[in-house]
Amino acid sequence: MPDTNGRRLPHARRDGLLVQAIDDEVVVYDTERHKAHCLNRTAAFVWEHCDGQTTVADVARRLARELEAPIDQTAVWLAVEQLGKAHLLTEAPRHAAGLSRRELLKRLGVAAAVALPLVTTIRTPVAAQGASCLGEGAPCDPANDLCCPGFGCQAGPNICVED
Amino acid sequence: MTFNAYGVRVGVRVSVRSALERVLERLPPGWKPARSAVVSRLYSLIAGGDGPRRGVRRLSLLYADAVRLARSRDVGEVLDAFETDLQLYVAEASPRRLFVHAGVVGWRGRAIIMPGRTFTGKTSLVAALVKAGATYYSDEYAVLDARGRVHPYARPLGIRERGALEKAKRYPVEAFGGRPGVRPLPVGLVIVSEYKAGARWRPRQLSAGKGALAVLAHTVSARRQPEVALRTLQQFISRTPVLKGVRGEVEQVVDFVVKTLGDR
Repeated sequence: MPDTNGRRLPHARRDGLLVQAIDDEVVVYDTERHKAHCLNRTAAFVWEHCDGQTTVADVARRLARELEAPIDQTAVWLAVEQLGKAHLLTEAPRHAAGLSRRELLKRLGVAAAVALPLVTTIRTPVAAQGASCLGEGAPCDPANDLCCPGFGCQAGPNICVED
Repeated sequence: MTFNAYGVRVGVRVSVRSALERVLERLPPGWKPARSAVVSRLYSLIAGGDGPRRGVRRLSLLYADAVRLARSRDVGEVLDAFETDLQLYVAEASPRRLFVHAGVVGWRGRAIIMPGRTFTGKTSLVAALVKAGATYYSDEYAVLDARGRVHPYARPLGIRERGALEKAKRYPVEAFGGRPGVRPLPVGLVIVSEYKAGARWRPRQLSAGKGALAVLAHTVSARRQPEVALRTLQQFISRTPVLKGVRGEVEQVVDFVVKTLGDR
């Protein structure tokens, strides 16, 4: 494994994001992609320190102290990787963790499970998904298809027909 | 006519006066007549009926502003489209309330919110809880205020007795031996469940952050007003258990609620 001690964390993205701390997690809403992310404590800690200055080794040390868990640089890189995939960094990470979350869990042991970084993502619904659907033969608008599952809004007669 | 619903002012015009009564039945719960003629959306309903010659029927048409939403020989179908579009428009545009697509009941002074998309069995769950003694709040939307309290949206329950393809029939909550809630309630429990034949209800509790995501995934105005959504969720999500899992028959969840929260 290459020496990554001196590597610095990338910059966190701040534009187009709404951030809400909820207990020890952070919920981030991306107004450009209409996705919401939940950063667990470790992922939130790493994201907070993504300033282009702080080194990975430094954050790993601080995290291990804060969480009282055997966190190493691989876990920090895993967080960076997940944050990158979620478009929460200004640049793509240049280094990969080299291990998946599952592999890291095996290596660090079950006791470290809660300390592993996790970014959970959902796509928020378009308003039409918040309505009960229209049944077969019901008039509909093809541009705003509210037909029930298995049906689609057929342009022309503008009614819900079987897909 | 013009009316206000949850801070949204809407207008409706009809081609024949007799259609207005049927329109009124389709307005959102709690609507009030408005004095101003300035509206943010205008619906136009042109009622069809017998044509100039025998055997010819005119189509009924529905427009929202200048966009045609529905066209049918059956005015009932056009009114269905009106109701669906109107409630969605109000849910998305409301400046004062956050609408989450969910069933809601009141239980011992607290609201149980059950978010879910259509066909996940929300209404069945609501009806079963009402039969078990819960107060009925909604089978369509959890309407939350800025303090995170849930307000009633107690329209008649829409039940599909013969499966998904059937159009839902509406029943008043009294048909299930229940009564509608009137006061806003603080949220006591969120249940995110999906029906799966033969499944056992063994829910897991989500963290507050993941719970917020689970509710946000069903929030109608999440894209239009994300800051309002996050702020409102923060009001209750930290102190409210959010349970998620698949369930079999509704009785499993009812038993669970009775055991966990206590009998009515």
